[in-house]
Order: sequence, then C-alpha cells, then structure tokens
Amino acid sequence: MDHSDPPARALRSRKGSRKQSGVISLFSRDFTTGLGEHMQDLTGLRESILTGNSSKALEETQKALSNGANPAYIVSRGIGPAMAEVGKLFEAGECFVPELLMAAKCTKEVFRILRPLLAQTGAKPNGRVVMGTVHGDLHDIGKNLVAAMLEGGGFEVTDLGVDVPAERFIAAVRDRQAHIVGLSALLTATLPAMKAVVEAFRASGMRDSIKIMVGGAPVTQEYATAIGANGYGESAAASVDLARRLIGA
Amino acid sequence: MDDLQWSTLISVIHGERLAAPPAGFIIDSPWLPNWAGHTILDYFTDERIFLEDNLKAIRAFPQAFFLPGFWSEYGMCTEPSAFGSVSTWEENEFPFAQKALQSAADVEYLRKPDPRRDGLLPFVIKRLKRLQPEIEKAGHKIRFAVARGPLNIATFLMGATEFLTALKTDPEYMHRLLTIITDFLVDWIQWQRQCFTSIDGILLLDDIVGFVSRQDFEVFGFPHLKRIFSADVTVKFFHNDAPCKACAPLLPEAGVNLLNFGFQHTIADMRVWTGNRVALMGNIPPRDVLAAGTPADVKRSVTGMLNALEDRSRLIVSCGGGMPPGAPTENIRALIKASAQSG
Repeated sequence: MDHSDPPARALRSRKGSRKQSGVISLFSRDFTTGLGEHMQDLTGLRESILTGNSSKALEETQKALSNGANPAYIVSRGIGPAMAEVGKLFEAGECFVPELLMAAKCTKEVFRILRPLLAQTGAKPNGRVVMGTVHGDLHDIGKNLVAAMLEGGGFEVTDLGVDVPAERFIAAVRDRQAHIVGLSALLTATLPAMKAVVEAFRASGMRDSIKIMVGGAPVTQEYATAIGANGYGESAAASVDLARRLIGA
Repeated sequence: MDDLQWSTLISVIHGERLAAPPAGFIIDSPWLPNWAGHTILDYFTDERIFLEDNLKAIRAFPQAFFLPGFWSEYGMCTEPSAFGSVSTWEENEFPFAQKALQSAADVEYLRKPDPRRDGLLPFVIKRLKRLQPEIEKAGHKIRFAVARGPLNIATFLMGATEFLTALKTDPEYMHRLLTIITDFLVDWIQWQRQCFTSIDGILLLDDIVGFVSRQDFEVFGFPHLKRIFSADVTVKFFHNDAPCKACAPLLPEAGVNLLNFGFQHTIADMRVWTGNRVALMGNIPPRDVLAAGTPADVKRSVTGMLNALEDRSRLIVSCGGGMPPGAPTENIRALIKASAQSG
C-alpha cells in the first residue's frame, strides 16, 4: 500500500501521461509568446508545489530564473498548472485541506520572489482581487484557500484578512484598482454582512465597475443572486474559473 | 431524552428492527434560542431561558429524540476557554474562541486544564446541576457527556489554517498538542459522568477529522478518538458533517456506535464504509431542505432517502448535521411525520 501523500501519488501516476499541451489549455493567457529559447521544463517546480515542499519550490524557481525563464512564464506554466492540479485532486477527494494549504504556502513563498520581477517586466496579472471574510466572521480557512488558488491562477490578490467592514473593502478596491471583490463567510449569522458590502458598493457609486464574488459554507447560488453578487464560488478550485469568467480573462 | 426514547435509541444501536425508524436531531444554540424567540446570548447567559427553550422543543416535538438533550454549552468556546482562549460574544451570533497559541512551538507552554475549575466548564456543570430537578420532573434525564473533539479544539487554539498546516510542518508539536487536549477531554468527560450518574453516553463533535486524509487521521485522529471512546458507556455518538469518507472505515474501531454525518454521503455508502457496524443518524440536507425547503420538500427528501434503503434498521432519520439555524416548526414536523409513516 502506498502511504505517501495523495498529491505525490497522483503526480507519479499521471507523469508521462499528461502532455504539455493539456497543461497550457488550463490557462486563459499564454505568456510564452516570443520566449523562444527561454522556455523551461518546470516539472520540478510543479512537483514541489504538489508535494508541498517549499524549499524545493524556491530552489526550482531560482533555477528557472537563472536559466533565463520569464517570471510570467513560471506563473503560467509552473504555479498555475500545479495549483489547478491540487484543486482537482481536492475536488476528487484525493487530497485534503492540509495538502492544499501546503501547496498554497509554496505558492505564496514563490510569489515573494516573483512579484517584484513580474512588476519589473511589466507582466499584467489576469486581474486584481481584493478578498476578505466579512464583518463579524473570524473564520479564514475558506478565504485562504480561495486566495491561494486565485494567485496560482495568475490573479493578484490583496487579502484583507478576517472581520472586514464594508468600508475597508471599498477603500482597498479604490487603492488597488481591483477588478473583483471576494467575500467569504462561514457563519449563517454573518451572511447579512455580505449583503451589506454589496449595498455599500452600490451606495459608493462603484458597483458597476467591480465584480463581486461570494462563497463559504452557508452561501448558495440563490443567496448570491438575491443579494446582487456577480458570482458564487462553490469551491476554492471553482473560484478561479469564476473569476476568469467574471472579467473575461 | 426520556426513558422510552433512551431504550429505543439503544435498540437502534443494537440493530433491532422497529416499526419505523425514529426521528432525532442534535439541537443546540445555532437553532434553539432563535426558534424559541430568544437571542443566542440570552440563551447562554440566562439559565431559565435555557431551560424553557429546551422544554419548549421537547413539548413541540414529543416524538423526536433530541440529542444530547439539555446540552449545556457555550458554542465553540466551551472547551477552548479552559485553555485560556478569549471568548468573543455578540448578542445574536455564535461566540468565537480566539487563538490561544501564536505558533506551534507555544505548545511547550500549554498545560492541561482542570475541568472542575477552568474556563466555562464549571458554568456548564453548575447550570445543569441547578436545572437537573426540573429536567427530571419533565421526565427527561441528562444522558450524555458532551465535548468538542481534539482536532476541533486544536483549530480554535491555533487557528484552522495554522493547525492544519502545522500537521505537515510541525507534526511533533501537533502530537503533543493533541495529546494534551485528549488527556483533558478524558478528564472532562469523566468529570461530567461523576457529576451526573444518569450519563450513559458520550457525544463528541469534531468536523475537522473530515478535513484530513486517511493517513493523517490514522496518525492524528484515530488514537485520540479511540482513547476518548474507550470510556465505559453504552452510547458512543460521533458527529462530523464534513466529508468523512476517509475516516469512516476506522470509526467502528475507534469505538463509535452512532454517527451523525453530512448529507454529501448517502446512508448506503456510509453503511459500506463503516461495515454496517455503526447506527447512522441522517441525512437530509439541513440548510437547503430542512431550513429553506417546504414541508413537501422535506417529506420528499425523507421518503426518497428511506425508499432507497432495503434495510431501515440502525437508522435515526435526521438531517446531515445539527439542526440548522432557521429550521421552521412545520418542516421539523414534516420530517418526523414522514419518518413515522414509513413503517
């Protein structure tokens, strides 16, 4: 019996069977145009994210950069496919929250190196997202998972943390010139705070220029529609596709 | 639960065939006070309101089992408070237990609480002690020692993200943390049993075991659950309404003989996974059907669930999880009626 972590097992079983073109199709943008000789094999980076090995992920990132890889290419061909794979394994019940969090931790650390380089090269993210758990709600795990998946999906995420009042969401959207606001809630009792954020954006005159996506255990598509949100993310992995759809990325 | 309900519950656990499966619910602060017309904070702080709300529920639904019944609790703050976690209260929201550990290494400084003295635990016992005569006058008894499970408590002491990450990054510290919590839980359950000799069951609630893989459950969950459920009581009731396919096969060996699980799994699947060695309590959708549906939706859901089963023994008809906030009287009655009429 194989007692290794499910993502590592899945990676082994899929190696060799997945063609590179299948990976590229997961992304809405191809950052590789014109990269020519700088195209790199990022299997090591993807594997280290899938197995939650941060030091290996950093090492692989540095290696790719010193070999001339474009940071946007590392995001689109390394981090993104790895996080999408982790998301799929999670949805299939083949990996669990600790593994997802470890993959997210890797991604976060790699982005610490890549973010300034991405800014230097002028690469644009798929979109800018401001995220937070709504006022009164202190549960952050769902929000953290969605933020990690979105970052892996090429979005720039500003995480406002927990218990965030409506005015802070508005200020952050203004400040970051964000395209999307992500609202998370675990408690039924804090659902009205979600509605309050939507209404606050309306009152601020910014509602038409921002897409609002909502998610969390008590949230449903019906509730999202009822409060006037633009979308409902049923799971962390689904949130990436939803964000792309919302802004046409 | 009254004596007849208790003996029926034990018959269900033993797999005896009944005319119709009984209906039952876990009821606590997310549903009960608002259903009875009070705020959550009033329910926690006023023992007369606590008693009246519980009596109102058992009188409104006399055919249903309420488990654990007269659950003296302070939401998720009960056990974490004994470890020094700050409890945050709002008038009509669930209380929140704030982190007591800022890093995995802080486990070095964590001591095992004394359930007789620490946090809110003396309040739990005193409230029930004072109300015990009236509870018994109403024909009911205090049947269960109740506690949140070790992983659940750990997530409040550390934060969910931090704890679940630390299972991978700091497994030694997490072993120590879970061992301290389990040592405490054994004492806490023993103390409840000493205070109320009518207790012959344990209810342990831990959704977090559903967040981890089977391998992690074997290492971080199973040994602790097994220790807690090794107590000499008749009913060993476990609640986990997160997805629990990974841990389900090990629950009978952990000692569990009654399980309330989430609606994402079917009764038939859960029977296979547990080797049909555990009585099941479930599992119509709590939020979308029991709380937000119509009585006809509830009836349809219960009938559909029961019609899919050839064997209706070892079953208590309920929702997949605790009674959801906002579940209306008519829907609860519809569930009880549909269950009774299925015989």
